[in-house]
Amino acid sequence: MNERMRTTAIAAISAVALLAVAGAARHPGGGEPKPDPQVLRGRQMVLEHGCADCHGGGTNPAAPGFLAGMRDTLGQFRIGPFITRPRNLTPDNTTGLGRFSERQIFNALRFGLRPGETPDVEITSTTPGQGNYPLHPKYLAVPMPWPAFRHMADEDLRAIAAYLKRGLKPVRNLVQDSDGPPDFWASEYTAEKIGTYPAPAYPTANEK
Amino acid sequence: MTRRLALIALPALVVATAGAAAQPAPRDLTPAPRTVEVSLTAAPARLSLVPGTTTDLLAYNGTVPGPVLEFREGDHVVVHFRNDLPVMTTVHWHGFHLPFPSDGSPFHPVAPGETYDYEFDIPPGTAGTYWYHPHPDHETGWQVAHGLYGAIVVRAPDDPIASLPERVLVLSDNRLNPDGSLDLPDPGSHAGVVDRENGREGPLLLVNGQEMPELEIRSGEVQRWRIVNASAARMYRLTIPGHPLLWVGTDGGLFERPVEVPDITVAPSSRVEVLVRGTDAPGSRLVVFDLPYDRYIPQTRRKGWNCPRRLLTLRYTEEPPRRQAVEIPATLRHVEPIDTSRVTATRLAVLTQGMINGRMMDMKRVDVDAPIGATEIWQVENLVGMDHPFHLHGFRFQVLDRNGVPEPFLAWRDVVNVPSHETVRFVVRYDDFPGKWMFHCHILDHEDHGMMGVLQVSQTGEK
Repeated sequence: MNERMRTTAIAAISAVALLAVAGAARHPGGGEPKPDPQVLRGRQMVLEHGCADCHGGGTNPAAPGFLAGMRDTLGQFRIGPFITRPRNLTPDNTTGLGRFSERQIFNALRFGLRPGETPDVEITSTTPGQGNYPLHPKYLAVPMPWPAFRHMADEDLRAIAAYLKRGLKPVRNLVQDSDGPPDFWASEYTAEKIGTYPAPAYPTANEK
Repeated sequence: MTRRLALIALPALVVATAGAAAQPAPRDLTPAPRTVEVSLTAAPARLSLVPGTTTDLLAYNGTVPGPVLEFREGDHVVVHFRNDLPVMTTVHWHGFHLPFPSDGSPFHPVAPGETYDYEFDIPPGTAGTYWYHPHPDHETGWQVAHGLYGAIVVRAPDDPIASLPERVLVLSDNRLNPDGSLDLPDPGSHAGVVDRENGREGPLLLVNGQEMPELEIRSGEVQRWRIVNASAARMYRLTIPGHPLLWVGTDGGLFERPVEVPDITVAPSSRVEVLVRGTDAPGSRLVVFDLPYDRYIPQTRRKGWNCPRRLLTLRYTEEPPRRQAVEIPATLRHVEPIDTSRVTATRLAVLTQGMINGRMMDMKRVDVDAPIGATEIWQVENLVGMDHPFHLHGFRFQVLDRNGVPEPFLAWRDVVNVPSHETVRFVVRYDDFPGKWMFHCHILDHEDHGMMGVLQVSQTGEK
């Protein structure tokens, strides 16, 4: 290989290498962009926990209106004199969760606090007025099963928030707010009725 | 608090009946031309809001509402304010473009027994209907519920409808106990929580401090009504059966062309000007109604919320109809559009229940920092199932669009109602006055519980 040939070969190899580097930057690992593992984990959690059974789409993420909230009155719940309406969980700005932070969604799942009525802060206590836990907490309406979901691991709840915010396309679907006086559900969510978070240490009197 | 108030009030008890006519202006203390100098005192007063009972209130210069203040464009205004209340207060000059220390925001409280001089100029081009009310941190709703509010009229030298007979209507509502005392529930009680969430409303509708007053109109006459919504939370939808209204003005005065409407919506703290045409026969009477407005979803509305409510009686005089036709100019006033090509930033204000952008008010925090003279767009998004009237201090603005639909005509505003799950964009220019300016929901209970932020306007480069 003479000098000229060597120079040409180096240039060609360099060009290929550059292209490869550029391609890797666009598509890590080559081919299609790889989904964020946190978003995928969140999708798994959402499907396992049947979120879309109430919030739209059932168990099929390809179904129209998947997680976009109730579409007609068949999807609502009558709780005593009040009506609960499963809301739009897609990241649409004014009708969905688009303007809520992942931390607010995490706080909804961990503490049952309504994202639209709770400051966007890290909460470190479950005692009202302490550790950023609101003095007058506003809870998600019954039957949202957050008292069960709150026992999921932090990273799983964060993954759900990541999936709802970053893994879904926004769908505009305005769901009328659920009924109920502002302090109504507070009396339903006392430690006597739903237990504590974290759960009591194992084993309790029922366990061995 | 109640006992302390009563003790202070007793020596100066004045039992009076609030009149249907707006209260007269206080005496101008200076002979200087183009200067208006008045005294304004806030003090306890015992007044009769409902015949047969008295109510312990707080009043500006002894009346509820306070006196109507009249200024002209170009006037220099000095208000010598005295706080004879047992609590801290301020006087906010709602809608005015003025120096920060005279804004009467929570940053400049006036302690009991103290005085404060508010001093400002009335800029040309700002003729319109404004109002004044207290604005102390956390206590605005309580003080306004006690009667501290009054109207302001700013007149222009070239007002094309200045010759029309005029009325100022200050609308407020309240809730009284059977003994006439104010129904202000314990904040921790269910009723207190409902007031805090929904905004305090009451079944007693007052026009210039009087229930169901009688206003006169002559057949064939056209009257100009300047309407101020001084209620904490009530949305008014005013209608006069058989009388389409000619809407001519918003918060900041006349707009370009009159618009005929069957009824007119007035959000908390906003103002409208309408022309009322006396098309009925002499001697006839009719009731002016407040139509229902669905502003929230929770099932905590008071009974009958969806029924029209009686506001006042309009009585035609016995005089023969006015024969001479009243000409309403096709063009009222040119409204210069704010130049949107100069916009340097778009501010996002996300309204949820009791918060703006997920945060509650903190006097020590600056939420938005902007250079003086900048033109900016505010995109106000309401994410929750209740309307929120959004007010910006110090700088009037022009609405650009609502949910992407361009505003049909230009108008000056300082408050815009943002309905449930809707988006409003407006453009504003921060002229003249550096300072810390509040932006907030004007449902007073929401404002008091933290649905407010601070816009700091500074000289370029200054922080």
